[in-house]
Amino acid sequence: MSNPVTIIMIEDDEGHARLIERNIRRSGVNNEIMPFTNGTDAVSYLFGPDGSGIDQKGQALLILLDLNLPDMTGIDILRRVKENKHLKSTPVVVLTTTDDSQEIKRCYELGCNVYITKPVNYESFANAIRQLGLFFSVIQVPPAIA
Amino acid sequence: MTSDAKRRRALGQILLLAAGLLVLVVISAASVLLVNKARQDSALVVHTVEVENQINALLLELRRAESAARAYLLTRWPEFLTDHEQAVANIVPYADKLARFAADNPYQVDNVKKMRAAIDIRLDQFRREMEFIKRDEPASAAALVREAAAGNTNAIIRDITDKMHAEEGRLFDLRTANADRTQILASSVTIAGSCIVIALGAIAAFQVRRSTRVRDEAETKLRDLNVTLETSVQERTADLREANDEIQRFAYIVSHDLRSPLVNIMGFTSELDELRGDIFKRIAALSHIGSEAAALPENATDSAEPALEGADKQLSDDFSEALGFIKSSIAKMDRLISAILNLTREGRREFRPDRINTRELIEGIAATVAHQAAEANAQIRVEPLPDIISDRLALEQIFSNLIDNALKYLRDGVPGDIAIRGRTKLGFAIFEISDNGRGIDPKDHQRIFDLFRRAGTQDKPGQGIGLAHVRTLVRRLGGTMSVASELHKGSTFTITLPVNWAANRKADS
Repeated sequence: MSNPVTIIMIEDDEGHARLIERNIRRSGVNNEIMPFTNGTDAVSYLFGPDGSGIDQKGQALLILLDLNLPDMTGIDILRRVKENKHLKSTPVVVLTTTDDSQEIKRCYELGCNVYITKPVNYESFANAIRQLGLFFSVIQVPPAIA
Repeated sequence: MTSDAKRRRALGQILLLAAGLLVLVVISAASVLLVNKARQDSALVVHTVEVENQINALLLELRRAESAARAYLLTRWPEFLTDHEQAVANIVPYADKLARFAADNPYQVDNVKKMRAAIDIRLDQFRREMEFIKRDEPASAAALVREAAAGNTNAIIRDITDKMHAEEGRLFDLRTANADRTQILASSVTIAGSCIVIALGAIAAFQVRRSTRVRDEAETKLRDLNVTLETSVQERTADLREANDEIQRFAYIVSHDLRSPLVNIMGFTSELDELRGDIFKRIAALSHIGSEAAALPENATDSAEPALEGADKQLSDDFSEALGFIKSSIAKMDRLISAILNLTREGRREFRPDRINTRELIEGIAATVAHQAAEANAQIRVEPLPDIISDRLALEQIFSNLIDNALKYLRDGVPGDIAIRGRTKLGFAIFEISDNGRGIDPKDHQRIFDLFRRAGTQDKPGQGIGLAHVRTLVRRLGGTMSVASELHKGSTFTITLPVNWAANRKADS
């Protein structure tokens, strides 16, 4: 893989973002992390100005997605990513405070790859993130379709 | 319409009816009286006419007798004699009849008497005339006729009859006038009465029309209200449901949003904790370097328990204590938020009505807590219970919460006795869960159903959620719950649930 995976982190809470980043680094993942604090910016980055997502064609991406965003719901972003022909193979990790079973079911139905509930208990939180780091290192992000 | 006005109207109608009745009675009575009077007056008028007739008839017979006598005297034809005798025979009965007719009037009686005397004289003259003729002495008879004419008997009779005529004429006028007056009076009374009755009728008709109009208006209003009532009830129900949904969503969102900063607080507190470790390790290492130059620096940094002394150790402990309080508070806050989340989630769950063998269900719960019961030296008695149609999961949560509570709050040193009883009443099933545990102070009976509130000695773990949750569920199932308890004397929780929840709900929707 010549293209290193870029982690797209869509998380409105900067504290959460910092904690996630820190724990990812602690688990030994050194990939580039691009933080977005709102859905609009993330969407315009992912899908480009024309909304086609052609810009990201061939890019190895991994999306960390919070569901509770100030300007839109993460569910919408998830749906758009999974419906886009250039981005649909990008792994999406939903990382949110909601542990409602309906919500989790919905995310998996829309094609989310991993769903992690942010626990308040820090040890389990750190643990979950580290495991996610491990997950990053073992999953093979699909190579860009030529 | 006020009740005062109503009463006044009713009174007015009664008065109107009474007035109408009175007028009718008066008119009827007056009519009867006046008609009687009129009949009497007419009878009197007729009587007068009859008297006059009788006088004329008598006079006619007298003249007939006289003229027949004269004709017989002239011609000697027996037909005239027969005619004369017939007339004479009529005179006395006619006179008697006249006397009878005129008997009511003393003046006429007097006249009749005088006339009777004159008639008797005249009849006597006739008889003598006839005898002279029979004896064939026409000269004597003619002389007698002349004498009679001179004797003025006829004139006397004529005078008397004239007087009687005059008297009867006077009476006739008087009586006719009387009869006229009576008739005018009768018709006046009738007309006046009719007018009053018509007026009363008009007033009554007006009132009836007015009250009919008022009634029609009220009916229309009632119909409108009935139509709008249903709509407004539906609207109100929809509003309430919407408000309830709104509260549910609100609680859900709030709990999520509260949780988010909590993740940060906890995360960075933990980061601080790690930093603390690093800082005090360095402090220890530095102080070691200061005191023991020979000490190996890597040993100091790697040691799990950096040796701190005096003020440094105190500082480290204070730091740990503060962080410990923050962490335990966050943990507590997290539990509370989770509890709210669970409650709202319960509120959002759709209930599915199902026929439930309540006794089986509760025995199942008792079986799952059998181990705890054995540890607490308690027995659970499940008496026969009525089956109901309700939501199975909700009922399980209700009863397991209450049985858990009963087991949790037993009195130390007293074997527990928990009984579940049930009965039905008027479409409701009443369940009682009673224990012989520590009981609840009556002043806390309301409080224990509030969220996050507990009562009594706080020696058992718990969030103060169970009973709040149970009551919410019972209410959602269309029931009510209450507690009867005294401190140290056990508690009885009573739950009233509709026997057929699904049917009630259908009726609602």
